[in-house]
Amino acid sequence: MQTKMMIFFLFFGLSFALLIAAVAIPPSAIGDVLRLILVALAMLFDMLALSSRFYTYMLLPILKQRKKEIVLTEEAAYWLSSTGDSTLRKEGEEYIATVYVSIPIYKSSTEMNPEEKMNFSMQISRLLGLSKSPVRFTTEMYIMNKDSYIAKLRDTITNIENKEIKMSQDNAGGKEAERVHGELAMWRNMLDSMTSASSFELASYASVTGKGFKEYEAIALAQQKASELMAGIASTLGVTPSIVTGNAILKFIEPEYLIPLSTITEQINKNVLNEEVA
Amino acid sequence: MDEEEVVYLTITYVVALMAIVMASAFKAVSIVVIAMAVFTMAMLAMINWSDYVVFPAVTKLLGITFQPAGGYKIISDQSAIVKNAGGIFYATGYVTANIFAFTFKEEFVEENVGDQLVQASERWERAIRAITFPFKFHVVSASRDVQKVREEIEGKRSYQEFQLSRAQQSGGTSESVMIDINRKMRITQAQLDRISQGEKPISTLMYMETTAYGVSEKAAVDMLTTQINQLQIAFTSFDLSLERVQGREIYTLFNFNFLLPVDASDIASLFSQQG
Repeated sequence: MQTKMMIFFLFFGLSFALLIAAVAIPPSAIGDVLRLILVALAMLFDMLALSSRFYTYMLLPILKQRKKEIVLTEEAAYWLSSTGDSTLRKEGEEYIATVYVSIPIYKSSTEMNPEEKMNFSMQISRLLGLSKSPVRFTTEMYIMNKDSYIAKLRDTITNIENKEIKMSQDNAGGKEAERVHGELAMWRNMLDSMTSASSFELASYASVTGKGFKEYEAIALAQQKASELMAGIASTLGVTPSIVTGNAILKFIEPEYLIPLSTITEQINKNVLNEEVA
Repeated sequence: MDEEEVVYLTITYVVALMAIVMASAFKAVSIVVIAMAVFTMAMLAMINWSDYVVFPAVTKLLGITFQPAGGYKIISDQSAIVKNAGGIFYATGYVTANIFAFTFKEEFVEENVGDQLVQASERWERAIRAITFPFKFHVVSASRDVQKVREEIEGKRSYQEFQLSRAQQSGGTSESVMIDINRKMRITQAQLDRISQGEKPISTLMYMETTAYGVSEKAAVDMLTTQINQLQIAFTSFDLSLERVQGREIYTLFNFNFLLPVDASDIASLFSQQG
């Protein structure tokens, strides 16, 4: 807040001083041009003064760097704590820890009667008023990562293909060859249907933040808030919430974890194929 | 308008007004000085009330991009944050989802709230069934002290009653002013009624987030725009204000992934423009 006010008064002071300087210059042909330039600058700094209310984070780097790609910070947005149960970030002198709490809800309105639907909505309303300090509740829909399953399918197909090749080399025929051929077709169909459309997962979680002058202070405060929140969630919804740890946190932060790379590659290949056909 | 806003606006208007007052000192160029001052005053009003239009337009015009953190980039029109991971571009955008009508404009306590609560989960499921891309629905909330809020609202109502009696006594007050005061009083009364009925006052901020990918930044941003349009269509059945977030709010919402405001009042001050 102090920096923001200082910048505001700096711009305002400059604007004021330039305007006074413009008035003080004696009128003449060159003097008038100079005065107009000073007035224009005074007005510009006046606008910058007001803009500094919300845009200090942007204005200072623009003025300092004077280029098109402005770097607000080179540092990573966060790092995972050594305990693996929170993310950390440094803002000025303070550390900020964020803890993610998973809320496992496996209910659907399709299997509820009107009274249950009403109760469920009331529970969600109560959930939002659980904490006095801000909590972020999120429902996230992301594309399921089927990579390992698809890899397993591909392995199976390769094995059966090898078997089929061996059988044809041995001139084996009859019912066994037909069975292997049928099995291969089945697995290929399975792979096609698996890769033809994306499957989605829905996850709900809450996040809370704690601040401190030491890393452990911030983490402890965030963990304490998370524990209180978890107790509230458990009693309100009747589920068992848990603190998200390790790489599972990335799914809630990093965009690339929302869409598996294999899905993207598949989609890009399909687009290329469609363009070629067209 | 909050107090901070009044202070900022008043102080900055002083310079522009001074330029108009002192215009006679500029003699031959006084008209130009007045024109510049008037233009500045108009710009100050625009910056104050719609900075999310002015600043993205300026940065887009100048082609300025921002790096809010290592590996991320806010594009020049400040409507998306792009990340390049392994040669694939991921563009993330935000849409506001605040229940403006319910919170701020409603003059009467709705009688069919029960029906709405019954339908809410069904509507939600119907909306997300129509979505075929990753998205997140966020609600940042903090409960408020019931007694404190009640006192605030009662104070507001007393002031409105005073305004009404003064307007009635003066006699010359126009009908539109009286209607406006009465409307404000009904809104305040509705808020009090809700608290009396056991509703807990909560500060909330709701927004949606979606991510699109592409082999180039443009492809990802174009796909993101399509996804945001689809999100807005999917959630039209809800009484929500669905606006694409641009400008400083995008930076704040990006930071919400790593730090939330400590106090509930910060939520309102951070989002005075787009809600």
